Amino acid sequence: MSAFDVMSDTELYQPVTVEDAVVLASRLAENAWLVAGGQDTYGWLKDRAKNTQAMIELSRIPELSGIKRSASGIEIGATTTLTEIANSKLIQQLIPLLGEAAQHVASPQIRNVGSIAGNIAQDTRCWYYRRGLSCYRAGGNLCYADTPEGMNREHCLFGASRCVAVSPSDTAPALVALGATIVIADSSGNHTIAAEDFFVGPDIDITRMNILKPGQIIVSIHIPADPEINVRHYFEKVADRNVWDFALVNIAVSLEMQAGKITKARFVCAGVDCKPYRLKEVERYCENKAAGSETAEGAARLAAKGAVPLNHNHFKIALMQNLVRRALRG
Amino acid sequence: MDIVNYKQDVWGREVLLGVSWDLLWLILMFAFLFIAVHAIILSRGERTELPSSEGARLVRHLMADRLFHWILAASVIVLIVTGVLPVMGIKFSWLTLHWIAGLVMTAAVVFHIVRSLFFKDLSLMRIQAADLDDPFDDAKKSGKYSLAQKGIHWAMTVLVLAVIATGLLLFSLMTTPWWSRDNWMSETNLGWTFVVHGLSTLGLVGLISLHIYFSLRPEKRFYTRSMLKGWISSDEHKSNHDTDLWLPQQETERVRESD
Repeated sequence: MSAFDVMSDTELYQPVTVEDAVVLASRLAENAWLVAGGQDTYGWLKDRAKNTQAMIELSRIPELSGIKRSASGIEIGATTTLTEIANSKLIQQLIPLLGEAAQHVASPQIRNVGSIAGNIAQDTRCWYYRRGLSCYRAGGNLCYADTPEGMNREHCLFGASRCVAVSPSDTAPALVALGATIVIADSSGNHTIAAEDFFVGPDIDITRMNILKPGQIIVSIHIPADPEINVRHYFEKVADRNVWDFALVNIAVSLEMQAGKITKARFVCAGVDCKPYRLKEVERYCENKAAGSETAEGAARLAAKGAVPLNHNHFKIALMQNLVRRALRG
Repeated sequence: MDIVNYKQDVWGREVLLGVSWDLLWLILMFAFLFIAVHAIILSRGERTELPSSEGARLVRHLMADRLFHWILAASVIVLIVTGVLPVMGIKFSWLTLHWIAGLVMTAAVVFHIVRSLFFKDLSLMRIQAADLDDPFDDAKKSGKYSLAQKGIHWAMTVLVLAVIATGLLLFSLMTTPWWSRDNWMSETNLGWTFVVHGLSTLGLVGLISLHIYFSLRPEKRFYTRSMLKGWISSDEHKSNHDTDLWLPQQETERVRESD
């Protein structure tokens, strides 16, 4: 380690159009770091755990920001801040789940600059990895969290494959629950992918948490919303502190209701898997049942089915069960 | 081009990670070059008529040996595909498939070792001084196995044993249905284990490329058939083997384990 501690030389690019940003991202590829709010980025750089030769700042591109009504729902620009999302009347009216999730991210100061794309594409908060250790996720051969001595209170219950880190995002489970799609731009054009398929576990790619490749940029997020359909939303986050903390477990639920019964359910948790974790057994169980205490009890029993707790995170099983119970009791 | 990969940890120390996968391209390039040059040279040589596959059928490989060969082949291919494709950028959930194929290969190899040591004549595979003339004497015929076949077999043996030994060490560090993971190995030893695992994998990639090439060559194709059906013809036997060194039984006879 060097005897002095200054930031390494970094070139800063500030494109004002998506086309320019894509050209830059494509040209600089893995040597570039995309930044909008910078709430994940600057932590890495300040800790000297990661470095970059170039940064492409996306927050000056007007077309990447804003919330608008589309034919089938709502379209949110990638660099739209979490505060804008939390305060948007349109979102509160049509997809309150996302507004609620955005409202629970970190602190007001962070929400004022943090973007929706940054929140879903952020890296995991595993402290061994963040410390800069050469763990699996950092390209090494070890997981320091999943050992008899490892401190893994915040780590995963599902989807472990050498790495046991979790997705820390609050808005990601909400987007999966809402059936959102993400538009990604690269040199070959725009590609649309379901939010659920955007995230990737360590079994498939241990060094990334999503499918975004060097040279690709998130342009927008589209959330389907039909005011004619009766949908009930629920979001709850459990963290050690009420503000400025990552979720131990959070839950985003979307229930389509008809005549008092659930016709379609989506339950998604973060903080329990490397990607937003869908509770598919709970979803199946709830279909054609009325939301209420009885259904809640049955669903809670299925909430953490298949969980493989680590030494210090057994409590997350009870948290998941209780969150499902509370979501259905409303 | 590096042979091994290092990573600098947060304290500035270099941590050995494993083999440099750039070597994969080098190995594939050498294998391709060898195959291309060999194929060109042989295509320019005098064409000899291939021995007939008609006539009496002589037993070359018993069912147990053929089954072992194809189980080993299938497991090695799964291991290479699941081990190498993610390194080449093709991402999929590979780890579970990889260790299951590794266990199948280990079981097959243990079966083969026991069978070779106690139920087969190991001397047929032993490289003897007389074999060393093979490449320089076109007229000379071999016993059951030529020097090249023995060489490939022993090279494969060393590489497969190395990949199994290191694979089992790495397997012991994983969470499996039978135990949870435990970092019992130091980071340096783990790095060396990955180096040996990777190098033996690269060796196997090269060797298997050559093995597949030779198995498809017209003058060697009868050996491939014998690995599928068990027999070679009497004509193929006489053209390629010294009948004093290896005299197989006819397929129609009730064959006892003697080869």
